Amino acid sequence: MACSSSIIGVSSSIYKTNPFRKFTSTPTSSSFHFSNPSCSFTSTDRFKSSFLPAVTSKSSFLSKNRRLSKSSALSDDYSENDFEQESEVTIDKREFAQFFPNQKMSEDTDDMFDDLFKKYGKVVFKGNAQKSAIAEVDEDAECLSFAVALAKVASDVKASDIKLLFVKPLVYWTRFFIIATAFSRPQIDAIGSKIRDLAETQYGRTATGDHKPNSWTLLDFGDVVVHIFLPPQRALYNLEEFYANATLIDLPFENQQTFRS
Amino acid sequence: MIQPQTHLNVADNSGARELMCIRILGASNRRYAHIGDVIVAKNQKVVRAVIVRTCKELKRNSGMIIRYDDNAAVVIDQEGNPKGTRIFGAIPRELRQLNFTKIVSLAPEVL
Repeated sequence: MACSSSIIGVSSSIYKTNPFRKFTSTPTSSSFHFSNPSCSFTSTDRFKSSFLPAVTSKSSFLSKNRRLSKSSALSDDYSENDFEQESEVTIDKREFAQFFPNQKMSEDTDDMFDDLFKKYGKVVFKGNAQKSAIAEVDEDAECLSFAVALAKVASDVKASDIKLLFVKPLVYWTRFFIIATAFSRPQIDAIGSKIRDLAETQYGRTATGDHKPNSWTLLDFGDVVVHIFLPPQRALYNLEEFYANATLIDLPFENQQTFRS
Repeated sequence: MIQPQTHLNVADNSGARELMCIRILGASNRRYAHIGDVIVAKNQKVVRAVIVRTCKELKRNSGMIIRYDDNAAVVIDQEGNPKGTRIFGAIPRELRQLNFTKIVSLAPEVL
């Protein structure tokens, strides 16, 4: 069943924010007005994929040893007479309504719960979209090696003051920033083309961003963003100050050349 | 839906507070501009600007709709670099696909 779209209205009048505040990695904001899609859960297939609360054998959710008899399960009002005494894991109707306000207790859900409990025992909610911590760390490590390789290429072309920032805790749309300074447009061109070539040949990744050299040249590899500045622009935009909360990663090569004045 | 004569707030610290749209770049006779479009705007001087927030809602393929409370733009120069050094307010992530990652990287919040 199709869901209606959710509308978000954002009030921007409060946004004279301090740019140095620590950002959350998820795009939430106190001025978000988020209305949930008005889907009603009618099919049990949809229901199966949705939230199941953490239950233990001792929880109140399963405290009462009652089983809904099949005949009365289809209607909403349950009388005491309908309950048979069984020592099986069962669901109390009141608590069910608390946890699943949109769903009506029916024969299907009852059986579904039985099957699930038999299969899994204790059930704890785990979102499908969340990657496991190990997978995330692996990806971060891969990304880091890619970023370090790019930074090395930049230093080979004599870019100066190369900084590698881990910005994943601050922004959600990327993982690493590489900030470098070049001293002339041909040098920027050279750095840009060498970085693109390396990424293309060794890692198979293409960059969007500036193709022509610019006083602030940006190469966007998705989870790694490369900023190449001319010295006055670097001082003007001062990205390191803006991302001061990001962790700086030490690069394993000598790149702290002083600016030519 | 920004059109000529529309007044927009300025979402950066480039100096201007309000801009009036003069022209929409991209095609001749283009009627309206949306988020991510470059316009020519005027506030004592004629400058270029990128629209970053509109009161007209922005639709995403996921079905999400984002609607801001004001129309706002960020002043850019001929090369596409933002003229100001800090951006104010929330920026939608569509600007990244439209090659305005510089604005996104200066934004305090990306929706």
